[in-house]
Amino acid sequence: MRMRIKKNLRTIMMAAAAVAAVLIVALYYSYAFGGADEKSYYLIYIPKVLDEDNDFWSTLLEGAQMAAEEHHATLEILAPDSETDYEQQRQYIEEAIAKKPDAILVSPSSYTENIETLEKVKENGIRLVFIDSVVSEEVQDLTVATDNVNMGEQLGAYVCQFLDENSQIAIVAHVEGSSTAIEREEGIRAGLGEYESRIVETVFSGSEYSVAYEQTCALIEKYPDLTRIIGTNEYSAVGAARAIRDLGLQDQITFVGIDSSLEMIQLMEEGIFQGFIIQKSFNMGYLGVENTIALLNGSVKEGTNLDSGSKLITREELYTEENQKLLFPF
Amino acid sequence: MKNTDGTGIPGKTGKNKKTRKNPLQSFYNQFKSIQTSILFTCSVLILFAIVIVVAVSLRYTQDEVYENAVSYTERLLSQLNTDVDSYIEYMENISDMVSENADVQNYFFNDSLSDEEREDAKTRIQMQFDTILQSRTDIYNIGVIDSRENVLINGDDTELNPNVDVTQEDWYQNAVAHPEEFSISSSHVQNAVKDCYKWVITLSSVVSSKADPQETAVVFIDLNYSSISRLCEDNSTGSGGYVYIMDADGGMIYHPQQQLLYGGLKTEHTSELLENEGTYTILSEDDGSRLYIWCASEKTGWVVVSVAQTSELFRNSRQTQFIYCMTAVVLLVIALLISNVVSRQITKPVQALRDSMEQVQQGHLEGNQVAVEGNNEISSLSNSFNLMSRRIESLVAQNRNEQEEKRKMELRALQSQINPHFLYNTLDSIIWMAESKKTDEVVIMTSAFARLMRQNIGNDDELISIGQEMMAIENYLTIQQMRYKDKLEFRLDMAADIRNERIIKLVLQPLVENAIYHGLKYKETRGMLTVKGYRAVDDIFIEIADDGVGMDEETLSHIFEAHKVNYQSNGVGVYNVQKRLQLYYGPDYGLTYQSRTGEGTCVTVKIPITRVDE
Repeated sequence: MRMRIKKNLRTIMMAAAAVAAVLIVALYYSYAFGGADEKSYYLIYIPKVLDEDNDFWSTLLEGAQMAAEEHHATLEILAPDSETDYEQQRQYIEEAIAKKPDAILVSPSSYTENIETLEKVKENGIRLVFIDSVVSEEVQDLTVATDNVNMGEQLGAYVCQFLDENSQIAIVAHVEGSSTAIEREEGIRAGLGEYESRIVETVFSGSEYSVAYEQTCALIEKYPDLTRIIGTNEYSAVGAARAIRDLGLQDQITFVGIDSSLEMIQLMEEGIFQGFIIQKSFNMGYLGVENTIALLNGSVKEGTNLDSGSKLITREELYTEENQKLLFPF
Repeated sequence: MKNTDGTGIPGKTGKNKKTRKNPLQSFYNQFKSIQTSILFTCSVLILFAIVIVVAVSLRYTQDEVYENAVSYTERLLSQLNTDVDSYIEYMENISDMVSENADVQNYFFNDSLSDEEREDAKTRIQMQFDTILQSRTDIYNIGVIDSRENVLINGDDTELNPNVDVTQEDWYQNAVAHPEEFSISSSHVQNAVKDCYKWVITLSSVVSSKADPQETAVVFIDLNYSSISRLCEDNSTGSGGYVYIMDADGGMIYHPQQQLLYGGLKTEHTSELLENEGTYTILSEDDGSRLYIWCASEKTGWVVVSVAQTSELFRNSRQTQFIYCMTAVVLLVIALLISNVVSRQITKPVQALRDSMEQVQQGHLEGNQVAVEGNNEISSLSNSFNLMSRRIESLVAQNRNEQEEKRKMELRALQSQINPHFLYNTLDSIIWMAESKKTDEVVIMTSAFARLMRQNIGNDDELISIGQEMMAIENYLTIQQMRYKDKLEFRLDMAADIRNERIIKLVLQPLVENAIYHGLKYKETRGMLTVKGYRAVDDIFIEIADDGVGMDEETLSHIFEAHKVNYQSNGVGVYNVQKRLQLYYGPDYGLTYQSRTGEGTCVTVKIPITRVDE
């Protein structure tokens, strides 16, 4: 009897050993052949605008597309024609929801509009990621943006060295009510510190070169002793810079801006700009898509807020190797 | 099985306990059964062999994969290098062509030319530039520039960027610093040309005046990336792999993900590769190891690097490895099963033999023959064992028969001893009465004696019922009462349920006789003899008690001894009766005496309830 049990035990042990061996091989197999196949996600990105002349958005899209390609994700772009056109952006968001992607990435044009539509994204079980800008409600799963307050602070601190107690500062901001405009102005004011009181006026160009140009001309007319102007995005900065150049006031007015473009670089070479601070827009697009995929895979937590970084570029350092890489797209 | 170790040898168990201190030995002790030993040894050997074979095979395929990958990629890279070199060489030729151009010499170094001649030379040079630019789309800018800022760029009136000092540009300074050779910049933004701002590689060289070698100008050609990136993309090493080119200092010339590198999202091990003296290495990174293979160009100093993920590299060889492993596992399982069957085949007869021996050892001789199969060592061992156990069996049977025979003989001898003794005693009594002229008593006695004889002697059976024995006692006591009229009284008290039980003959009579002759006869007053029989559980007890003189301790202790046999003293009975009882019923049965001097003696006969088969 005992012997029979012993024999059975041995048979069971042998069977177990065989099964274990097969299992090990199967595991090895799955390790060797599986795993590498990443799930392919379908993403839709709705930027504020698609403008070939605007390096910021085109570089951002390049980064997004490179990340999508690298992670074998499908990335669809639905871009409004104008940066202020939140109506069109809303239509695109609704269109995107109907397409049932895994995630929708949005750079909201307005801080306050479209929130209900964005909430609908979440209600449909689609992940919502904000790139570059946010809205007044915390509806997103993930934010990838430049730390706008920090960027404004850097710029404000840089401007301080050109200031004295008689300086008059004007801010040519971009879209009134957008989160980036609000945060950048807040940062600039913080960076200026004691000179904050020297700000005479803030105007909003609505991200139009011509509006910024006219507003700058009006500002200079209104405040003849204006010595410092700060432009808070590419449209505002270039518009204002053109006005300064055309009025021949580059020696009187120290001008700094945010974002860059070929025109801004040339204006800097001409001496209109003393410095500008650039966002790492390629990084923003790339990190935005990469982290969206990580969010879908569960390796990034919801509510994460990523800073894609920024860099102050002064006239003297325009062509350092590092800055070349950041300023000039391929 | 008694033994846990399965050896069937009890003596070894103690030894096991001693050796338990050594874990290896105690581990080995678990394999004392031959079958497990064979199975274990076979398994270990087979496993060992298979693992080695598989390891060697896998190692071989792995090496093969590496070698193939490295040699293939090296060929690819050297081809790529040649392509890049010949491309650069081609550009150098263009540069030379510009340098050798007489119009260039005239335009830049001949101050004696008239304005008209200068203008003509300029037009011809611009035409040449135009032709070159039209035929080569990968050239962004081609131009000649001297330290006095005389400039000719492209086929039109392209100007220098007024805000940039060209002589401070790296490519300009490199050319001036090394006038004998061509300088090739790493990739940079060409900001010297107005409204250009393209990422280019600048090939620059010095052209010096034939009249005065001290007078120099710089020829530069800005190369678009696309040609080089096309070369690299065409030679990409499959999925997950890419090719990049860096200059001798680690500066990036071309990288498919240049944006990522410049954005700080990706880094390359440029310095590690440049320090490495070999031509390939494997570096492990966060997301798996990568195989780096590189090849430096002697002409440009550029290093072409191929990067491939090793997991991608081995993807194809995994299939082979999987087949190896699968085969190994299947082989192992089959081998284990076969060795199991074989070991069982070998040890089955041994185990059967062992089991059988164990049974024999415990005394179960019958039906423990081992089935003999085949014609090998084990089967001859089994045969011998079978023969031996049969022989033992017959010897045991013979021995038992002889013992039985001997017992019977002894019993008969004792029986025949008691007969004449009884006869003598009775006849003695009759003689005594006849002498006393007691004719009537003699008649009664003789008839009682006759009945007794009929029962005791006239019956050949060894056994008699207790009832019959009781009657014989009564007859005998009747005779004795006549003889010892005043001295003897008796009482017989036999339980009804034992009357039909059987007892060997002439047990009670000699005991009664002893009680009279040795107990009551010497008593002054009238004596009482009681015979009482009863049953307790499975035994029958018959007590014969007298209130005669009794015995002292000394007599009592020698009562069963044979030397007491003496016909005169009639002491023969006790030994004979005891001997017969024990021979017949076994040592647990027989007589027990209780006696005290002057008070009497009680002897108890203990016999079992007669079983039919005994």
